[in-house]
Amino acid sequence: MRAIQYLRLALPALMLALAMLMRPSALSAHEAAMGVLEFREVRPGAFVGRWSIEPSIGASRVDLRVPPHCFLRLPEMNCGAKGLVGPITITNLGSNMSVVLIKVIPIEGEPRSYTISTANPVVSVLGTGAPTLEVWLELARTYVNYGIDHILLGADHLLFVLGLIWIVGGGWRLLKTITAFTIGHSASLAAAAFGLIGVPERPLNACIALSIAFIGVEMVKQQRGEIGLTARYPWIVAFSFGLVHGIGFASALAGLGLERRLLPAALLFFNIGVEIGQLAFVLLVLALIWAHRRLDAVVPRWGEALPAYLIGSVSMFWFFGRLVRVFAVI
Amino acid sequence: MKLNSARLLIATAMLLSGGHAAEAHIVPARLGDFYMGVVHPLTDLQDVVLWTATGVLAGTLGATKGRWLIALFPLGLVAGLLLGRVLGAASTQLADAAMMLAIGLLLAAAVQVPTVLLSAMAFAVAVIRGAANGADLAPETDRVLFAAGLTCVGYAAITLAMALTTVFKRTNSDSATSWRAIAIRALGGWIAAIGLMMASLALAS
Amino acid sequence: MSLSLRLPLPLTTAIVSLALMQPALAHEQAGVAGGLASGLLHPITGIDHLIAMVAVGIWGAQLGAPAIWILPITFPLVMAIGGVLGVLHVPLPMPEVMIAISAVILGVAVAARLRLPFAAAALVVAVFAIFHGHAHGAELPRAANALAYGVGFVSATGLLHLCGIAIGTLTRWPAGERLIQGLGAGIAAIGCYFLAQGVGAFA
Repeated sequence: MRAIQYLRLALPALMLALAMLMRPSALSAHEAAMGVLEFREVRPGAFVGRWSIEPSIGASRVDLRVPPHCFLRLPEMNCGAKGLVGPITITNLGSNMSVVLIKVIPIEGEPRSYTISTANPVVSVLGTGAPTLEVWLELARTYVNYGIDHILLGADHLLFVLGLIWIVGGGWRLLKTITAFTIGHSASLAAAAFGLIGVPERPLNACIALSIAFIGVEMVKQQRGEIGLTARYPWIVAFSFGLVHGIGFASALAGLGLERRLLPAALLFFNIGVEIGQLAFVLLVLALIWAHRRLDAVVPRWGEALPAYLIGSVSMFWFFGRLVRVFAVI
Repeated sequence: MKLNSARLLIATAMLLSGGHAAEAHIVPARLGDFYMGVVHPLTDLQDVVLWTATGVLAGTLGATKGRWLIALFPLGLVAGLLLGRVLGAASTQLADAAMMLAIGLLLAAAVQVPTVLLSAMAFAVAVIRGAANGADLAPETDRVLFAAGLTCVGYAAITLAMALTTVFKRTNSDSATSWRAIAIRALGGWIAAIGLMMASLALAS
Repeated sequence: MSLSLRLPLPLTTAIVSLALMQPALAHEQAGVAGGLASGLLHPITGIDHLIAMVAVGIWGAQLGAPAIWILPITFPLVMAIGGVLGVLHVPLPMPEVMIAISAVILGVAVAARLRLPFAAAALVVAVFAIFHGHAHGAELPRAANALAYGVGFVSATGLLHLCGIAIGTLTRWPAGERLIQGLGAGIAAIGCYFLAQGVGAFA
């Protein structure tokens, strides 16, 4: 009986997953009006910059900041012997123009492009030579922060983790479960970032919403005294859904125009950031659970099912919303 | 052993909140209005002092009296935000100071405040601070997200403050002259002193 | 006596995290860091205030219960009353001289292990508290952030008491007792110096 219940849930998820794997080209269409700024290196350290696509607010009004050692007066930019290394910032991107693409075309080596958006107003440009310590530090700072931001803004991921904590409880079992979730999402994040698997973003997001609904169902089961899959094998559930969520993390890294040789390091730092954010969240939840026990303020009997239904409703709301967007694309 | 872990927890919470504040100025740009609501009160000394005072007072009175605040305090913050919206920005300096003085005196005197009075005072603090937090919002701020963030941090802060205080004080029947009780009462004396001076300053200016 | 000399871990952490918070707060709320710092430093940098405050703590510890626990609870409040007078610019007679005199009296009391009746001791300390609070209260409206200044100066005062009480617990050992009496004499001597200075300035 229980197996059938699971199938009812798992089947659509499986079908979606299959559908995604059959379309390996990632979606990269930016819907917003986009400005493109090109920096072409003419002499070592000296660049000529021009807007190949003017931003909608007008090129002159963009508040562009380049690394402090660079001297910028469009169309010229001189960075001296150090070259173009460091943060480029645009802080005044309005909602009408949410993205600026910066292309850097060096004399030697591959052209690179970086995306600046309202949500992510700083990009770090890394030099063409062998990465120096400064480059590594800059990379670490940028991507650890980026990872923290990403997890803190990912309400769906946090809700999933909350559901896991709710079912598993504290202690050793929770540690194993969270570790399994971490291993799962790290593995698929790496695989997706290196292009081993390509998953279109929208169906994936729908899938992630469904995984939270699954947790909601499991919470209800637990309250009815049934031992669900999550309660019995929490790490297996956490690991497999971790795989799904990890691909979701990877979509945040896509489109940042990162060089391939720096990708492993960036990935590592990003992942560290995600884990820091996740750990902080888990600790906060555990502290609050402890506080509630301490104050003897637990959910009353009549309201026991409420959190599960709340999580379920929110996730299904997300699921349908995201499903609509899946079909809007196709 | 248990005490040590509790101390460690307090220590971690303090350090965490400190680290959190370090991010304050970049949070709105980086993480949006929800986290702005979370961080805004943590960087405002009025909130830090008043919320701590309320949580500690509720914690010393014990879990049975204090636990209503878990729901009341966040509700009060939302009510304050709405009220501030309707009434417009007004200075809460005197009200803040008066609440500090009142809560501080109750703490210092180790009064067994009845549940209704405690709830009313906590709700008043929440309303005042909710209105103050909503006062200086930029027009482009998403107020719903900000309110959600403020509510969440209010809930978490008051719950943790109460629980940590109950751990610190250990038992309700602790004598009023044990060093733990004295430490809390001294804290109350400090808060009352700050409130008294702030009140006079608000009246003088 | 159940007071332990060890500074509890949360307290240490609070100080550390406060220190960490300062630069961050500066961005958000202009002057919080400045207010906190000046509030914290103000009682510590005025030597006459500092020694008198520590003397209050030591004397409280010498007197034992109930002085030792009434002191940290009520001192800030009495001091705040002085602070209010300062804020409202109510002048007090010869503030510098009075603070120096209280340092002398408190120092002598500690050195002589003076066991005044509780009410008399409370009166001496209260007079000092009001004058002490007045000096700080006058500074309050000028502070970059008044609340931060208030928090800083009340905390510094409390911590100085704690130092005094901690030193006072040395009375448990005979050698410590001597040391404390020596300290009291030193405080009285410094108080005399400030008294002479104050009277000189007054005359």
